[in-house]
Amino acid sequence: MSLLEVTGVKKTYKGRRGGTSVEALKNVNFTVEKGEYVAIMGESGSGKTTLLNILAALDKATAGTVILDGMNLTTIKDAAMAKFRRDNLGYVFQDFNLLDTFTLEDNIYLPLVLAGKRHSEMKERLDKLAPALGITDLLKKYPYEVSGGQKQRAAIARALITNPKIVLADEPTGALDSKSSDELLELFSRVNGMGQTILMVTHSTKAASHASRVMFIKDGIIFHQIYKGSSTDTQMYQKISDTLNLLAQGGDLK
Amino acid sequence: MKLGLYPKIAADGIRKNGRLYVPYIGTCILMIAVFYIMHLLGYSDIVDTYIDSSTAKQMMQFGTYIMAVFGTIFLFYTQSALIKGRLKEFGLYSVLGMNKRNIGRIVFYENIITWFISMAGGLVVGIGLSKLAELGFAKVIEAEISYRFNISVESVAITALVYSIIFFLIYLNALRQVRFTNTINLVNSDKAGEKPPKANWVIGIFGFILLFTGYAIAIKIEQPMSALLWFLIAVILIIIGTYLVLIAGSVLLCRILQKNKAYYYKTNHFVSVSSMAYRMKRNGASLASICILLTMVLVMISSTTALYVNREDSLKNHCPRQIDNWFGRNGFDPDYHEIAANILDGLETRTKEYGAAIDNSILIYDYSLAGYYEKNYLNIDIDPMESVTTLDYDKVAQVFFFDLEEYNRLTGGNDVLTSGEALIGIEGNIRIDDELRVGNETFTVAGRFDPLASDIRYAIVSPVVSTIFVVVDDLDEVASRYADYTDSTGTKMLAWEWQYYYDVNLEEEQEIELSRILGSYLQEELKPLGGNIRSFSDSRADQRNDFVKTFGGLLFLGILLSAIFLVACVLIIYYKQISEGFEDQSRFGIMQKIGMTKDNIKKSINSQMLTVFLIPITFSCLHLATILPIIHKLLLLFGHNNMPLLVTCAGICVLVCGIFYAVTYKLTSNAYYKIVS
Repeated sequence: MSLLEVTGVKKTYKGRRGGTSVEALKNVNFTVEKGEYVAIMGESGSGKTTLLNILAALDKATAGTVILDGMNLTTIKDAAMAKFRRDNLGYVFQDFNLLDTFTLEDNIYLPLVLAGKRHSEMKERLDKLAPALGITDLLKKYPYEVSGGQKQRAAIARALITNPKIVLADEPTGALDSKSSDELLELFSRVNGMGQTILMVTHSTKAASHASRVMFIKDGIIFHQIYKGSSTDTQMYQKISDTLNLLAQGGDLK
Repeated sequence: MKLGLYPKIAADGIRKNGRLYVPYIGTCILMIAVFYIMHLLGYSDIVDTYIDSSTAKQMMQFGTYIMAVFGTIFLFYTQSALIKGRLKEFGLYSVLGMNKRNIGRIVFYENIITWFISMAGGLVVGIGLSKLAELGFAKVIEAEISYRFNISVESVAITALVYSIIFFLIYLNALRQVRFTNTINLVNSDKAGEKPPKANWVIGIFGFILLFTGYAIAIKIEQPMSALLWFLIAVILIIIGTYLVLIAGSVLLCRILQKNKAYYYKTNHFVSVSSMAYRMKRNGASLASICILLTMVLVMISSTTALYVNREDSLKNHCPRQIDNWFGRNGFDPDYHEIAANILDGLETRTKEYGAAIDNSILIYDYSLAGYYEKNYLNIDIDPMESVTTLDYDKVAQVFFFDLEEYNRLTGGNDVLTSGEALIGIEGNIRIDDELRVGNETFTVAGRFDPLASDIRYAIVSPVVSTIFVVVDDLDEVASRYADYTDSTGTKMLAWEWQYYYDVNLEEEQEIELSRILGSYLQEELKPLGGNIRSFSDSRADQRNDFVKTFGGLLFLGILLSAIFLVACVLIIYYKQISEGFEDQSRFGIMQKIGMTKDNIKKSINSQMLTVFLIPITFSCLHLATILPIIHKLLLLFGHNNMPLLVTCAGICVLVCGIFYAVTYKLTSNAYYKIVS
């Protein structure tokens, strides 16, 4: 059984006065295996963020099912949703979403504190995680004191500290300069190498080229996917940009 | 650009920011209305139709000054909160190509519009409510009520002038704020990374020290006379202390809690404690302002109601009987017996001629001296005028010499004394051992009595300084030994007085008329005895008028000012909630994404809100409790000596204000939740 199974997911946004409705997702089907590193690519408006929000249980699908490790997300009650998200999902945002009232350390602890963990246990987990992410020296700083790349690393620590089943990343390099982006992508690969499943939404070819599989979404459906297999990042980059070119020309790959 | 664009932008700006502007304009309207009413009651001649209302009128005049000053400060404060909310919009205009001068014009038109609406509204409301206020005023000062409707052109003009000046100053201030802000800062004004609040140990601890010093002084004060200066110092210390404690002390407290890891890393405390530090950094000052305003309201209302409610008792302390005849002079008079007997006779005859019976009479005759008391010795050589600045009022004391016979008559006792012995009664903060020296004479204490237990208490002139009663076996002989003491102006220090109080059971007007007759009789009769003899005859009815006008005026002033202060509180709370709402909006979005349930968030907000809500009112109750004893002592100056009543009034005020405050908080929290969710 796959870790994540998405079947027939549909999302329709109704116009305000019942007028025009927009189909953001028409019929999305895919699966993600444990330990995979999947990137979802698509242009703005293609529905990729909507999809991610549904996967993160931040949004409800109009139809279809999302099953994570045997649990059906679409049937979880609202009240249990927050706990589910906390225990099973790690979320990395484009704009970091760190709370400016906390130090980086406290930001990372937040999900654990909400889960009612003891401080000693939290510290133990962070002590293991921090060196790998290179943030040991930054823990006492406040978000406004550190760079974007450093913030994003803290945000990743926050996503990983709960040992989630899957890490969902929404344009994680979107707000970073190219050097920080490279470092971050390296980091993602390393994290994936440790066995962590990652699902990333991006429109950066470079970011996607690190993934083991890239899915392309267009007009609300999964249009195409490529596996990295044994290709290098550069080869993968080439494959992806070829595909994007085709997509842009309106070509039909099927 | 077309003419009329700026006024249009300004009007749109006000309309779109109604959430900020409506309460602001509402407050302006109310302030202008109250100012008009106070001015009308204090200065216009409609109040002259009431007899003898000058004290009450003076209170209203005083009130207009307070309104002008407070109005300026407060509107400045709210205006800067308003303009802060608009800076981003101005920044956008500036990006779109408007220069500072253009924006200045928008600010100008906004001010013109708010000025016009406030002025028109304020005057309409003020004039509309003026009759009601006038009736209320007449009621509390027990004056005649006229049902004529008055509009005072003078009051309208003054109100318009004063508030136009205030608005002009506010406009200049707004202009200054716009001018000194950069375009880019304008656009990003709400995004600037906020530094985490630092725990400032020095200021925090200093604040606590100031606050407790203020409390200590307030509690320690014994005598209202020396208290006045110390009271002011205590008040200032408490105010500054409140600000420092709420601004720095609270952050300090949060930081200490954060250091305690076992406490801090708990679901319930984690978010609350860290957000509280920020909240207090931003809102410490407004919470302190709310606290001070609330305290002022509590103090004003509880003291003025206590005075007003207790007016009849205070009056009775002041005038123990309906008619009070008094005469006396400085120096030693060996032949007072004949004068007094003659006068007593004359007063009784005239009272009976008027058709009144003499009831419950009290006759008091005494010699008195004032001096500086230190350790069983009353120094009467000291010249109070020379040493007035160095004088410790706690040590100023007045000595009343009574004849034993007189004393036995007043108390109904039959004590016996020999020469050199004395019975001692003390009222005030003085301790006397076995001997008392007054000037060069020494008295052996043969016994002690409580002066308040008998009619002898009516000799006490003032509750402000300490009083020593010395009962001797031969008053004339003792008094003669002090005959030669004079002060620097050559006036004899020794003084004697004769008082005759009694009830007559007449109508108020007759009582007043009778006391006038008796007063002129005293003057005629005593004239041959020389110029320095003084006399009067007073009636309780006449005094009652005075008391009611004074206390009623105070009460009315207290109520009007409290209303304004409370409205000010409400507005501060409201703006605070709105600005917090905007700041918290994005934060709660994040928390939700990370896995906080809506319930968790709501619980956390509620607990923070409750803390923020409770801080000012808790502090003001604490303030009130500490300064209540001094207020009691200050009220003694008005003849008010009823601590239980004062405490009751304070209790009721706290309750009423608490309910009002809670309702306000509930309503303004709704504004907050609407923004956050």
